[in-house]
Amino acid sequence: MNTDELVRHLAADTRPVARNSIARRLVIGMAVGGIGSAILILIGLGFRPDLDAAMRGAFFWMKWGYTFSLAVTALVMTAQLARPDSGRPRGLWLVAIPVILLAGVGLLELARTPSSQWLSMWLGHSWKSCPWLVLSLSTPIFAGLLWSFRRLAPTRLRAAGAAAGLSAGAFAATVYCLHCPEVSAIFVLTWYSLGIVLATLLGMVVGPRLLRW
Amino acid sequence: MQATEEHLRALMIAGLNGDAAAHKALLRLLVPLLRGFYRRRLRGADDDVEDLVQDTLIAVHTRRASYDRGRAFTAWLYAVARYKMIDHFRRVGRLRPIDECDDLPDAADFEASSIARLDLDDLLQALPDKQARMIRATRIDGLSVAEAANAEGIGESDVKVSVHRGLKALMARVQGAIR
Repeated sequence: MNTDELVRHLAADTRPVARNSIARRLVIGMAVGGIGSAILILIGLGFRPDLDAAMRGAFFWMKWGYTFSLAVTALVMTAQLARPDSGRPRGLWLVAIPVILLAGVGLLELARTPSSQWLSMWLGHSWKSCPWLVLSLSTPIFAGLLWSFRRLAPTRLRAAGAAAGLSAGAFAATVYCLHCPEVSAIFVLTWYSLGIVLATLLGMVVGPRLLRW
Repeated sequence: MQATEEHLRALMIAGLNGDAAAHKALLRLLVPLLRGFYRRRLRGADDDVEDLVQDTLIAVHTRRASYDRGRAFTAWLYAVARYKMIDHFRRVGRLRPIDECDDLPDAADFEASSIARLDLDDLLQALPDKQARMIRATRIDGLSVAEAANAEGIGESDVKVSVHRGLKALMARVQGAIR
């Protein structure tokens, strides 16, 4: 096709683009992926039977607060990296805030528990499976974010992949709370975070390949 | 019609709001800009230039959601164009026959240039933001003064002054460090 034809062809499909379309696309991608993860839990693991009661307790909300605030922070970074002229992403240190807060709660918890129980509190019942489940549940969300990126233009593919992986991992952990009955801050701080970090690394590895345009 | 930052940006924003005529006018104006940009950098490979121009036009069209209406349009455009060019070199580089590789920089060159780049990053960080940006644009990214001025939305003399002052400050720093 010659260039004039191409221009005509492209201009024929001029659709309005909303002002906040980056944020909107990313949120849609993440939300649809999250629904996918929730369905996977429902089929494969089942929601925790006491979900109703748990949602009235503070601990459930602390887990959600931790994972969801991480997901939102990561998504904001992803949005920055979705522009070709973004430069170095800002606000990376914000990720530390939820981690530090949860670590504070964990220390309080340890102080109130006899040290003989520390190990069982740290390992819970599911420390072996938790990180892997979080990582697995992050794949539908990562796929959703890949869809979002189809109209976006990241130029630092490794960083963009890592940010998308972090968003996917953190949001997968949020969804995973629907199943996971663990109730200690140091458990979440270690094993949830490990799953989230794995998702971030995976995103970093596949970013240059999958985000190319 | 002139391809100034203001004009291009107005067309881009109109296009984003759904104005197909403005969008078409924008894409038309970009063709000579992009041809110039790639021709200067690809030296002679005219087929590749036209391929890259078309590729970039498609990217500008399909990925225009990534443009922030509050920022300079040409900075966005050249970021897209530069990405497409790097992608092109990466693809071509992979397919290049081995006997043409003689003139490629060897590992030692690469290492030296990497270290130089790290040093440069350190030095540029000490400069005021604008001077660092202008030095980067004109001396490292290889934009012409006119392109850099356009991208930043400032005058060409402003770019030259920034580069000059920045380089002078760098000189002073480097010499101070040696002594």
